[in-house]
Amino acid sequence: MPSTLTLAPAPPSEAAEAVRLEVRQFLAEELAAGSFTTHVDTWLSGVDPAFSRKLGERGWLGMTWPKEYGGHERTAMERYAVTEELLAAGAPVAAHWIADRQSGPNLLRYGTETQRKEILPRIAAGECFFVIGMSEPDSGSDLASIRTKAVRNADGDWVVDGAKVWTSNAHHSHYAIVLVRTAPADPSARHAGMSQLLVDLSLPGITINPIRILDGGHHFNEVVFDSVVVPGDMLLGEEGAGWHQVTAELAFERSGPERILSTFPLLAAFARRASTDAELATLGRLSARLLALRQLSIRIAAALDRGELPDIPAALVKDVGTTFEADVAEEIRRVVDVPASLDSPDPLGRALAEAQLHQPGYTLRGGTNEILRGIVARGLGLR
Amino acid sequence: MSGEQDLVVATVREILARHEPVKLTAERRWDAQLWAELAEAGLTGVGLPEEAGGSGGELADAVAVVATLAAGAGAVPVAEQLLVAGPAVLAAGLALPPVDEPLTVSVTGALRVEDGRISGTATDVPWAGVARHLVAVADGPDGEVLALVDVGDLEASDAVDLAGQPRGSYVLDGVPAQVGPVGELRARFALARAVQLSAAAQTVLAWTVQYAGERVQFGRPLAKFQGIQVQLAQMAGEVTAVSALVDAAVQRLDRGEPLELAAAAGKVRAGAAVDVVARLAHQVHGAIGFTLEHRLHHLTTRMWSWRDDAGSETTWARVLGAAVAGDDPWPALVGIV
Repeated sequence: MPSTLTLAPAPPSEAAEAVRLEVRQFLAEELAAGSFTTHVDTWLSGVDPAFSRKLGERGWLGMTWPKEYGGHERTAMERYAVTEELLAAGAPVAAHWIADRQSGPNLLRYGTETQRKEILPRIAAGECFFVIGMSEPDSGSDLASIRTKAVRNADGDWVVDGAKVWTSNAHHSHYAIVLVRTAPADPSARHAGMSQLLVDLSLPGITINPIRILDGGHHFNEVVFDSVVVPGDMLLGEEGAGWHQVTAELAFERSGPERILSTFPLLAAFARRASTDAELATLGRLSARLLALRQLSIRIAAALDRGELPDIPAALVKDVGTTFEADVAEEIRRVVDVPASLDSPDPLGRALAEAQLHQPGYTLRGGTNEILRGIVARGLGLR
Repeated sequence: MSGEQDLVVATVREILARHEPVKLTAERRWDAQLWAELAEAGLTGVGLPEEAGGSGGELADAVAVVATLAAGAGAVPVAEQLLVAGPAVLAAGLALPPVDEPLTVSVTGALRVEDGRISGTATDVPWAGVARHLVAVADGPDGEVLALVDVGDLEASDAVDLAGQPRGSYVLDGVPAQVGPVGELRARFALARAVQLSAAAQTVLAWTVQYAGERVQFGRPLAKFQGIQVQLAQMAGEVTAVSALVDAAVQRLDRGEPLELAAAAGKVRAGAAVDVVARLAHQVHGAIGFTLEHRLHHLTTRMWSWRDDAGSETTWARVLGAAVAGDDPWPALVGIV
C-alpha cells in the first residue's frame, strides 16, 4: 500500500475505555431525566448550550489541551472515546462541536498567548462556541478563490468586507475563524496572500442571515461583513499563511467519528428491531463497514496525537465514511417497510426521515467527496 | 512490521520470484514445486510451535507469510495450514501432522464421527486432492467436533473455484479420525480468507496505479484523467478500510480474545470490497486485463473465489447482525474489535 495511506495501529487504551463507561453512564442518566432526546446528525443540528456546559463541567471538552489553557491533558484516544459515545447516543453536541474539534486546536497551534489564555478556557468550559468561516457564496470547493478581504487601517486594525456561507450555528456562536485575503489574488500563486482572523461575532457591521436546510432547520447562515473593524491583534497565526493553516485544520475536521456516525442513531433504531434474516444481514453488513471505518478513524486520531499530519488518510476516511453515513438509510429502507416521516409515530420512521433529509450534507460538508478523492489520488501519486 | 517479519517476507518473496504464477489446469492443480521450496525453508510451519513440529515464530509472522503468498498468487495451501487447520488441531489437543505435508480444512458438508471413524461428505474443501490431511467439522455423539483425517489416499471430486484452485469434496466411509473440540475453526478460516483478500486487494490497487501511470491514451497516461483518478481513489478507500479492520481482527486473535465476531466483520468487509476493487481494476486495465496474458486475473479470480470460501458475506453478516441487534447495539458493536 502507498506509504501516504499507511497508518500504524493505535495502541489499546485502558484510560479511554474507562472514560467511555463514564460517558455512557452520564448519557443514560441524562436520557432518563429527559434532558435530551436522540436525533440523527446532532453535531450539526443539536444545539444545547446547557448540555455543552455539562460536558465542560465533567472535563469532556478541550480534553487534550494543556491545563494552563483550561484543558485536561488527556490523550487523543480518551477524547475519541468521549466524542464517539456522544455521537452514538445522538446527544446535542452541536453548540461546542466546532470549537472543541478544530478552533481550539487551531488556537493552540497558531494563537498568541493572549488569544489562548482568553478563549481556550471558555471553550473547555462549554461556554464559548465557534463557527468556521471558509466557504463563500462564490467559493465552495475552490476555496482559494475566496474574495472576503481584510485590509489594515491606520490604527493597525483589520477592516473586513465580504460574506461567508454554510456557517453552521453562527447565530449561536461567539467567534468565527475567518479565512480572508490579506493580499490581492495572484494567479501565479493562488494559495498565497490569505490569512485567518479571529472575529468576535458581536462586532458592529456583522449580519447573520439564516439559510434553512431541507427539513426546515436553521443551522446554516450567511455571515456578512460590512467594513467590520477587527482589532489588529486578532490575526490568527501568520499573515499570508492562511492556506497552510486551513489545510492543517482540515485534518482535524475530516477524520473524526462524526464522519462515520452522523446516522448511527438510525442504525441503532434499526438494530433494536432487526430480527429477520434479511434485516440481520443488512445490520451485519453495515456494522462491518462501520467497524472498518472506526479502525481507520482511530488510527488517524493516534497519528494526529503523535504530531503527524495525516491529511491524505483523513480525506480518504471522510470519503468512505460519509458515503457509509448516506448508505445507512438506503440499506435499511431495502429491508423494512416503514415510511420516512418526521411525524412518524415510529422512532424508526422519524430517524429515517432525519437521515434522508440531512443526507445531501454528509458528502458535501468539510470538502466534497470529489475534492477528497482528488486528494487521495494525489496520495497515490497520480497528480 | 518487525525485523523478524521483514526477514520472513523477504524469504517468501525470494522463493516466489522463482515461481511465476501459473494458470491452474486439470493437469496442474497446484504449485507443488513452490510448496516443496517453502517447506524446505521451514515456511510451511511458521507460527506453529517448534515442540509440536512447526517452525516457531509469532502469529504476525504466519500472517506475513500468508499475506505475501496471497499477494503473489502462490497456488499452495499455506493459509489453511498456518492460520486455520494447524492452529485448530493444536487447540483441539491433537498432534500436528508433519508440516511439510499439506493440511486443509472443511467447514461444510455432512459428517458424522463415531468410535474414531468418520463418515459422510466434506464439501467445498480447498485443495481437495492435494492435501494429505483434512480438518473438518463433524457431528459427534455429544455435538459438533473437530476431526482430523488422513485423506492422502482418498479420491476427491475434481471441482475447482474461479481461479482453478481445487474446491472439491471427499466422501468418507468409516475412515479413521482423531477428534477434539471444534473451537474457533470457522472463525479462523474466515479470518484467513480475509487476510488473503486484504493482501490481494492491496496488490491489485498497486498494479492498477502502476498500469494507469504507464498506459498512454489521448497523449497522456490514464492516471492523468480525473475519471480514472476517482476510480483509483475509490479502490484505495476500500483497500485501506479492509486492511485496517483485518489487522485489528488479527490483533484480537493474537491477544487470545474471542474471535468469531471480529472474524465475521473482517470477512464481510473484505468480501464486500472485492466487487469494487476487482471491477474497477479490470475497468482501468481495459481489455488486456481480461485475458490470460495479463497477470491481473491471478489475483482477481482468487478474490472472487476467496470471498465465497469459509462462509459468504451474507452468512457472516447474519452472525454479526444477530450480535449487534438488541436494545444496546452500540456497546455490542464497539466490543467486537
